[in-house]
Amino acid sequence: MKKAKVCIAERHFIHRLGVKTILSVIGIEPDLFEVNSVDSTLKCLQENRDIDFIIFDHDIFNKIENKAIRKIRLQCPCTRFLVLSDDKKYSDSHVSYISQDDSRQEILDKFQSFFYEQNKDINDSENSALLSEREVDVLKNVALGYANKEIADKLYISINTVISHRKNITEKLGIKTIAGLTVYAVMHGLIKPEEVKV
Amino acid sequence: MNNKLPLTAKMKMADIIHLDYRLIPIIGRFGIEYGFGNKTVSEVCEDYAINTSFFIEIINSYHNHDYFPQEQLQNFKASLIIKYLSNTHTYYLNVKLPEIESYISQIKQEVTVDNRKNIDLLSDFFAEYKIELINHLNREDTDVFPYVELLEKAIESNCISDDVLQIIESKPIDQYANNHENVELKLSDLKNLIIRYLPPLVCKDVCQKLLFELFRLESDLEDHTRIEDKVLVPKVKLLEKQVLENCNRK
Repeated sequence: MKKAKVCIAERHFIHRLGVKTILSVIGIEPDLFEVNSVDSTLKCLQENRDIDFIIFDHDIFNKIENKAIRKIRLQCPCTRFLVLSDDKKYSDSHVSYISQDDSRQEILDKFQSFFYEQNKDINDSENSALLSEREVDVLKNVALGYANKEIADKLYISINTVISHRKNITEKLGIKTIAGLTVYAVMHGLIKPEEVKV
Repeated sequence: MNNKLPLTAKMKMADIIHLDYRLIPIIGRFGIEYGFGNKTVSEVCEDYAINTSFFIEIINSYHNHDYFPQEQLQNFKASLIIKYLSNTHTYYLNVKLPEIESYISQIKQEVTVDNRKNIDLLSDFFAEYKIELINHLNREDTDVFPYVELLEKAIESNCISDDVLQIIESKPIDQYANNHENVELKLSDLKNLIIRYLPPLVCKDVCQKLLFELFRLESDLEDHTRIEDKVLVPKVKLLEKQVLENCNRK
């Protein structure tokens, strides 16, 4: 297998080092390009159109993330993205996300699948993927009619985490309203109909 | 032909339908019947005593989602919009909702035992949605539309009472525009529940018809909301301005 070309776009040296460590943990020895700003990232990609993977912190692109990704996608249509962000703004089969509260194992798993499953249609596997255990917990409580604050207290997580779980649930299931989520939860036996608060 | 070009009064009515067949129910709602030969839009409108400017605004708003009417707004009465919108409300309540309900009850009759619970859930879900939609439409019929008529009467009679001014000051139309909640959300959920999660039904053809109608109701409601946001709200703002100007001149 030819050496993968990986670009790490992180503002901070420590973050780049962390990413490199994870790469070696999962056994990837790539041709590395390290950059620390939007401009240097775009320049690097311009000079190396055959870069296979780019890993970046959403901080680096911040507000222009969508635009930047789109631009890079046009330039290098085969490049795949791993974004460190809670905000899954850009949904595309070429973009994967790592969120703030992913555990060590989850992060390793995500890196693994990011590098080793490039031929598989990620979008497909993501959408059909079942909800994570935590998401199921949140979904149950949403379906039972609890507010974000109550759910956060019950599960010992922050409100922001609840909100981000809810966003992911809605994205995965394609159901936006509480009533719709309740129907889903009852249909799948996650809660009993008589438990639902009216 | 460029789809973004606005439809005009000089175009042939038949061409307009060929250009965008989704306008068929809209044209029908105006009471226009077929067999109009080669007549232009303005000729057909004349035959049916329809305000041509208004007709053009409505079909353009349906035809091109980015269309934003402006110049024409002065040329027709707000009561025309109100009449059109309440006709549409009646159409939803008397035709569309019962149609969907009849499909659901057909499915209920033919459903297998193990799927029965799921259909009951979906049926309850739709019933809930229906109540919300009816409340939404009723609010418009009883609060918003009378307000618009009040404004128009005040301008026509040139007698502007303090009451009217007070109501304008409370900015009811801004509130309406801001709170114009998205009535389609639940509909989209219902579609997804059926498409993605409902175990297969025995009566496939009824299920297909149901889905089809849900999609159509959804896009119809979207168009309807757009007319309210892009035609009704700007027109009302224009009226409010007029009332206030008349008032200052006195």
